[in-house]
Amino acid sequence: MRSGQSEGKKERGGASALLPFLLLLPAVTFVLFLYLYPLVASIIRSFTVSGESYSLANYSKAWALYKRDIIFTIEVAILGTLLSTVLGIALACYVRLSRSFVARFVNSVSRLAIFLPYVIVGQMMRSFLAPHGFLNVMLANIGIVDLNSPIQFFNIKGLLLGFLWKEVPFISFLLLSALQVINDCYLEAARSVGAKTRHVVMHILIPMIKPAIMIAGVLTFCTIVSTFTLPYMLVTESPTMVTVDIAHRVTYFRDYGVANALGVVLYLLATPMAVYYLRRTVREAIYGY
Amino acid sequence: MKRCILGIGLMVFIALVGLAASGKVTLLYMTAGDINMLALAQNVLGPMFSERYPEVELRTVHTGPGDAGSQLIFEKLRAEKLSGKETWDVDVAMVHQIFMSWAMAEGDLLLQYAQDLSTWQYVTSPHAKYALGTPVEGYVMPMFHSQVAIAYNPKYVPEPPRSYEELVEWVKAHPGKFGYNGIKGGMSGVAFVVGWVYWKTGKYEKYAITGPYDEAEVASWEPIFKELKEFNKYVTITAGNVGTLDALNRGEIWMGPVWVDMFYTFMLTGKMDPNIRLVLPEPGLPGQPMYFVIPKKAKNIEWAKKFVEFVTSPEIQAKVIVEKYNWYPGIDGTYIKDYVSPEAYARLYRDITPEELRTKGLSFALSKYHTAILEAYEKWTIGG
Repeated sequence: MRSGQSEGKKERGGASALLPFLLLLPAVTFVLFLYLYPLVASIIRSFTVSGESYSLANYSKAWALYKRDIIFTIEVAILGTLLSTVLGIALACYVRLSRSFVARFVNSVSRLAIFLPYVIVGQMMRSFLAPHGFLNVMLANIGIVDLNSPIQFFNIKGLLLGFLWKEVPFISFLLLSALQVINDCYLEAARSVGAKTRHVVMHILIPMIKPAIMIAGVLTFCTIVSTFTLPYMLVTESPTMVTVDIAHRVTYFRDYGVANALGVVLYLLATPMAVYYLRRTVREAIYGY
Repeated sequence: MKRCILGIGLMVFIALVGLAASGKVTLLYMTAGDINMLALAQNVLGPMFSERYPEVELRTVHTGPGDAGSQLIFEKLRAEKLSGKETWDVDVAMVHQIFMSWAMAEGDLLLQYAQDLSTWQYVTSPHAKYALGTPVEGYVMPMFHSQVAIAYNPKYVPEPPRSYEELVEWVKAHPGKFGYNGIKGGMSGVAFVVGWVYWKTGKYEKYAITGPYDEAEVASWEPIFKELKEFNKYVTITAGNVGTLDALNRGEIWMGPVWVDMFYTFMLTGKMDPNIRLVLPEPGLPGQPMYFVIPKKAKNIEWAKKFVEFVTSPEIQAKVIVEKYNWYPGIDGTYIKDYVSPEAYARLYRDITPEELRTKGLSFALSKYHTAILEAYEKWTIGG
């Protein structure tokens, strides 16, 4: 009896020692081949000049030709993330607090933007923001703009508008789900001692959804840094975003070295965000906060 | 890159398997270029060819616009060569000029076939002999020629500039009314910049035809590109090839370089003010043909030749290339006159005569100079 039991245990022990790894194998292989391998390969290639020799030549060329674009990318990413986070919070809090028809309407209409790809947004913004486009003509009709010197939007202004148009609804969508779980009794308690709406927002809602805000900001930052279509279609003047330069290096020069070096610059921009996101999710999974 | 090739390999495989079942001859046609090149093959040339030869069906694989599209075709053919297979998948391909410099340098990729075609006699273009300085005679048949020209709105520009000098003066007098798309948004802007270099240096022959490549030349360009930087202060940079056309149509700009074929296609589809005209200023602007090539070990060489012959015949050149797509014909324009409608012929040659096209329709620069021009622009005109 005793020996039988111990044998059974042994068998189970052998199988259960292997089983987790077997179960993990497909997922790990998938990640290794489709994510880790290209990542490592692109980093190696960014140091490779004409086949074999390793040097920093690609990086010095990338810096010499595209430093303004790298700085521009950082500017756009930071500004775009901050602005869309602030507006996203405002929209989400409005929808959470207001019970009006308008709030629900705004909420559902803004969701549309989440499902439209950037290429559509780009095409839309191209005709909307053009020098004689819809916006300028409208402003000219009410006498704000002179069509002979219209507002130029095909630069950082238009780019930020495009990003905001798409990212604000996305952020508010993420935040709203966090806001919905906050019990109304907190808000009622605050109001009963005289808190105004801004107090409720600043001191109750925002502190309670801070983790969600950070995650939304991280995701938005990474999206902005990596988007190609919107700057490609919208920004005509130099500087432009690094993704456009990467495409330019590959399309016109078949120069994967500098393109990969620029890619690594984007990885570096996204890395702090990724680390933050990972730590956050691991902490949440383990400690539950 | 590798994934792209894999994807294309898969498409080729599916195309072949699909047709093996039907018992017809499958002619596998791989085309670079914009999406209109795919539509041209699938909706126009393929059905027309099958109508004439019912035993053949054209299967088209599209690899995408720009040099990158041609590059995928190059990689595919090179992979077939390295594999040591007896017959290769691709029967016939449509490529840009730059492809020829890669393919001829690699060697053993292409068949010398053009002289065997009955339509070879109609080909007079210098582009059929040299592609960006690489000798290609016999390896290519031009399907069409597209040309960049300056479009202008006669309402605001009654006397268009006839040379780059006049253009620069005009631009300084009318700030913001000349627009082009820089070099990152399509080739019409690139063509304008290349034309600028030809004008300023006067070395078109060396840069585009004879070579050789000379580093010292590139170093001497700094003042030229600084002047272009100064010039750019007076221009509107538009969002791409289409951006220039749209801006012209909306009246935001009064003048700008455009692809002639895109320009007429816009006009025919009602997207362009019909009053806008074209001019080709001295010393000229670059244009480029696209070529048919046949891989050396193509499976259906004879059918591939028949297909190229079919498309380069005066009739198809007139009806499809000129009337439908507004390109200049790949063969000499004089041979198509009997087949093309007088309106289409007049439209194509109204503003820019065949003589002008011969003298001022230039080539893009040799590939090393071309790269150097683009990088010089990035370094001295938009950088630093």
